[in-house]
Amino acid sequence: MAGTKAAHPAASDNFTESSSYRLAGGVRVRQERFGLLFYNHRGPRIYFVPTGRFINEDFFDGKQTIGKLVDSIRHKSGLPGERILDRLKEIFRTFEAKGLIDEQRLR
Amino acid sequence: MSNGYVEMGLCAPVNVTWEVTYACNLSCVHCLSDSGAKRYGELTTEECRRVIDDLAAAKVFQLNIGGGEPFARPDFLELMDYAHQKDMVTCISTNGTLIDREVARRLDHGLVYIQVSLDGATPESNDGVRGRGSYKKALRSLEFLRQRNVAASINTVLTRLNFLELDKLTQLAASFGAGFRVSRFRPSGRGEKSWSRLNVSKEQMVEFSNWLSRNLEVSTGDSFFSITTEERRSLGLNMCGACKLTCCISPLGRVYPCAFLQQSEFLAGRAPEEPLAFIWKHSPVFESFRRLEIKSCGSCHRFDMCHGGCPAIAYHTQRRLGVPDPGCLANCVGVKAHPAHRQMVTGN
Repeated sequence: MAGTKAAHPAASDNFTESSSYRLAGGVRVRQERFGLLFYNHRGPRIYFVPTGRFINEDFFDGKQTIGKLVDSIRHKSGLPGERILDRLKEIFRTFEAKGLIDEQRLR
Repeated sequence: MSNGYVEMGLCAPVNVTWEVTYACNLSCVHCLSDSGAKRYGELTTEECRRVIDDLAAAKVFQLNIGGGEPFARPDFLELMDYAHQKDMVTCISTNGTLIDREVARRLDHGLVYIQVSLDGATPESNDGVRGRGSYKKALRSLEFLRQRNVAASINTVLTRLNFLELDKLTQLAASFGAGFRVSRFRPSGRGEKSWSRLNVSKEQMVEFSNWLSRNLEVSTGDSFFSITTEERRSLGLNMCGACKLTCCISPLGRVYPCAFLQQSEFLAGRAPEEPLAFIWKHSPVFESFRRLEIKSCGSCHRFDMCHGGCPAIAYHTQRRLGVPDPGCLANCVGVKAHPAHRQMVTGN
């Protein structure tokens, strides 16, 4: 899958199960006990996201889709897919607003 | 800062302070590491590369590189490039004297931040602390960095000698397109001997806290979290980050809680022989440091702002941990400010 950097409007406006994301330039992430710890060298430097084990740091390689993530979380939590998708949309909108991720698009 | 998540324990430091050499061509009177000559046992190039491999494997995001003078190491640029290959940001603290046009070109890299040390706004006030000619050379390096558009700041250790020059230093930094950062003076290394002569008074500390509140663009690297006011609360830490967010590696590869606590009782491990992630997780020194509580501060109205302040200052001034930072704001307020200090704040 070839990805390109998202253009306007905000990528979360197009948030669907086929969406996938990559870390923005200068951003790194690692898994911690509470969830994800982002580091953005353009500042503010660190950002804590209490995602538990539901979102793995590997998700942000731009190759995995939100749909697969929903399936994975549904499998672990037993929650309905729609509810998971709504919550993920909120979370990813925040990530975008903080400049941590870029949406990847299929050409 | 999300204290709850930090208290849960991170799997590795967010950043590591790495003093890469004791060698330095200056002899500043407040040098925290008593640097000068290269010492026996400093890590070799190969050992440094192994340290970088190890820190990258632990997913450390940022290296705060100091010394000594990092550029005094002939292999320093090679090591810096190697850290960048591993996606680590390098924040390099330097006296600037060895940065020429060619070195500035090598530093023109998105992952580099440079802090040039300058302890006065004039040659007289700076060179009295850092050595003759150091002001001119530091400014020359800032000009080379400006020409290459390298992210840089002037870093000043706050002393009673430069206390009235902070506005001028801010302007000087801006003239080079650089930021301005103020660091706290701590009585370690040669700073122990110059502490009583150079450390700011309690009145000055209060005035400085007020000055910081009005100059939110000035950074402090969180070294002044013990005097943070409401205005700056969202800008940084409200506690000591040692062993929670950061730690320090000495030029000999010894791992400590922070650069200002390098006594043998604080030795947590040795790099690169022991993986940093292992030291971070299992060192009894780090474990006990994380449990450190300044109980006498528990009832202070500012406890949530600083959690007892800087343990290193407390240790060096009182020879024990678990006691309050004597320079915390709660300890300093109530001291009437001298008119000359007010002048700095008001600019009148």
